[in-house]
Amino acid sequence: MKHKIRFTINGEVKEIEVQPNKTLLKMLREDLDLIGVKEGCGAGECGACTVLVNNKPVNSCLMLAVEVDGKEILTIEGLSDGINLDPLQESFLKHNAIQCGYCTPGMVMSAKALLNRNSHPKEEDVKEALAGNLCRCTGYKRIVDAVLDAVKKGGGK
Amino acid sequence: MKEFEYLKPDSIKKTISILSQFGEKAQILNGGTDLIVEMRDKIIQPEYLVDIKAIPQLNRITYNKQDGLNIGATVTLNEISNSKVVQTHYPILVKACKTVGSYQVRNRATLAGNICNASPAADTAPPLLVLEAKVNIIGPTGEKIVPINQFFTGVKKNILKKGEIVTSITIPPIKGKWVGVYLKQGRKKEVDLATVGVAVVCIRDEVRIALGAVAPVPVRAFKTEELLKGKTIDESLLEKAGRSALTEVSPISDVRSSQEYREEIIKVLVRRAILQAKGGHIL
Ligand code: FES
Ligand code: FES
Repeated sequence: MKHKIRFTINGEVKEIEVQPNKTLLKMLREDLDLIGVKEGCGAGECGACTVLVNNKPVNSCLMLAVEVDGKEILTIEGLSDGINLDPLQESFLKHNAIQCGYCTPGMVMSAKALLNRNSHPKEEDVKEALAGNLCRCTGYKRIVDAVLDAVKKGGGK
Repeated sequence: MKEFEYLKPDSIKKTISILSQFGEKAQILNGGTDLIVEMRDKIIQPEYLVDIKAIPQLNRITYNKQDGLNIGATVTLNEISNSKVVQTHYPILVKACKTVGSYQVRNRATLAGNICNASPAADTAPPLLVLEAKVNIIGPTGEKIVPINQFFTGVKKNILKKGEIVTSITIPPIKGKWVGVYLKQGRKKEVDLATVGVAVVCIRDEVRIALGAVAPVPVRAFKTEELLKGKTIDESLLEKAGRSALTEVSPISDVRSSQEYREEIIKVLVRRAILQAKGGHIL
């Protein structure tokens, strides 16, 4: 039986019907065309599917779509206003913290969540926050540098 | 993932009646970090999935001097490690919670889920064993309280019967000054299962020791504790403690480590954890 759920996605209220056996990841990609969210492992290991639910980073592959009823979701698509990138995105570009880009949306969302809860994270905090996000090409140095630079530029406000 | 019916009761009473009605066909959904993967891989295929996260009483942390700490079943690991009372009174628990999975996983995973899942390597189990936690359970026949060292019955098996749920975990107060330490050895520093986990609590002349990932269930090392009780701890006693702890467990070789390595690490971590809990003031 399908369930009617209502939630806010990137600032917009949506109401849709979903099958309970659909993960949040699948709903975002297949029903809402938010394909910035990536599936790497589908098992909570890689973090490519990270989105914010009520401001907290979660693995969207480990959550059912029905569970977001009444909640607020932010994906990579909701970070920029359409013209200006988020300071974190700018910083990833500047530091070449991207190669294939597959891990990037998840990385940026984990970093965003970190800056939301701690506006002056230290290098260890960044590493802890990104520990659940795997990158198979860039190496982590540039990514950590990008986040720390965004903090310096006031990205954490 | 196979289709199922999703139910979200808002009270414990309703949950028990749903679980009693559907028996083996029903499965509780809490943080879902293990369950959803097992459902995806078709290891578990429930017909009814009962989400307990809408039950208000299960989402609380309470603390007072007489009763100690009570952590509701749906409280997440991050909520525990961010809690001021837990940070103040049970830093060992904060440490253990922070070593489970990634930050994202800890936003969903719960303490109750970590123990119900009953992995021998569950990071929160050794600390709960040395803190002598009690598991509060409700089922069709009423409430019961089970000491944590009777809760685990085998690899991924616990004492719960169908229709029963864990409502919360209580950590009774410890009288007097005490120090708790949890040490974990994994293959890498972040986001890994424990190869060996050791928890130690020192209360005056009493030392409590528990080990994870070295037997079918997390183990309290009572014999080793007896050996240390009331003794002045020196290098030779520490060595004896390490060897004694080995006799109380049954480590195996698996993908994470060989048996020999585990045996070595058990000795090292037991020694190190006792030393740290004693503030390093011995020798
Ligand atoms: S796809 Fe979700 S963690 Fe890998
Ligand atoms: S840039 Fe390719 S996986 Fe990170």
